[in-house]
Amino acid sequence: MMAGFLKNMMGKKKPEPEGIDCEEVMAQLYEYIDGELECEVTTERVRKHLDLCKRCYPHYDFERAFLRFVSEQGRTNTPPELRRKVFQAMLEEEEDQH
Amino acid sequence: MGEDASAKRGEFESEALVHLDTLYNVALRLTGNAYDAEDLVQDTVTKAYRAWDKYESGTNCRAWLVTIMRNTFINQYRRESKRPTPVQFDSVEDISVFENVQDRDPAGSFFRYIVDDEVQQAIQELPEEFRIPVVLSDVEGLSYAEIAEILELPVGTVKSRLFRGRRRLQQRLYEYAMEMGYIR
Repeated sequence: MMAGFLKNMMGKKKPEPEGIDCEEVMAQLYEYIDGELECEVTTERVRKHLDLCKRCYPHYDFERAFLRFVSEQGRTNTPPELRRKVFQAMLEEEEDQH
Repeated sequence: MGEDASAKRGEFESEALVHLDTLYNVALRLTGNAYDAEDLVQDTVTKAYRAWDKYESGTNCRAWLVTIMRNTFINQYRRESKRPTPVQFDSVEDISVFENVQDRDPAGSFFRYIVDDEVQQAIQELPEEFRIPVVLSDVEGLSYAEIAEILELPVGTVKSRLFRGRRRLQQRLYEYAMEMGYIR
């Protein structure tokens, strides 16, 4: 079994660990990373495939790095002055209701 | 009456205003500039506060607020000329940047050299159809279902816009990294 696995990894045959092929994994990659795959069985299959596949794992790693980067760098803090204005507007609304 | 109003404000602050950063970020991406974004945030918060009685406590307050913001933006801010033009579908999204960099920088280290201003600009350059799902998902961490509800789209459409938006953004950042010599 190990020999067959190694043969697959050498690129002589398209690896299909866990009965799901690279193309299927790639098609569902973002959903997997986002934790949005609906079926637990599929999630597990993708996870196991990624653990074993030399072609898909680096791609998965790259997409994760990209998404982590966007989440860290894509954000802007609320200007303190706006925060103050918003709270001030709340107080004024409250006074209007008195 | 005074106590009621004060209790309402307290509740609003703890449930709604904790999402102020989300509102500001979404407003920035909708309007494209800080000046309009601030106005849009203030209008949204005022509307939400006035409609607070209609908000069902314990439900998804953040999605409720972003929905109010989106509607306010569509009705008040978007000029006729600024309506998003239908997106031209091209093949750029079919190829992941990974295909281009796997031999040189498979871990995507080049991303780390890109400054936040450039990222913000690249996000802003995405067509609105892609930009808003990307911001809601990747910057704000909303689920596909929440985004679908806010944008009144089927979940499948959210998925495909997210896919295309991410690929375009990735491509833009890659081109920038190439121009700057962060990747060769």
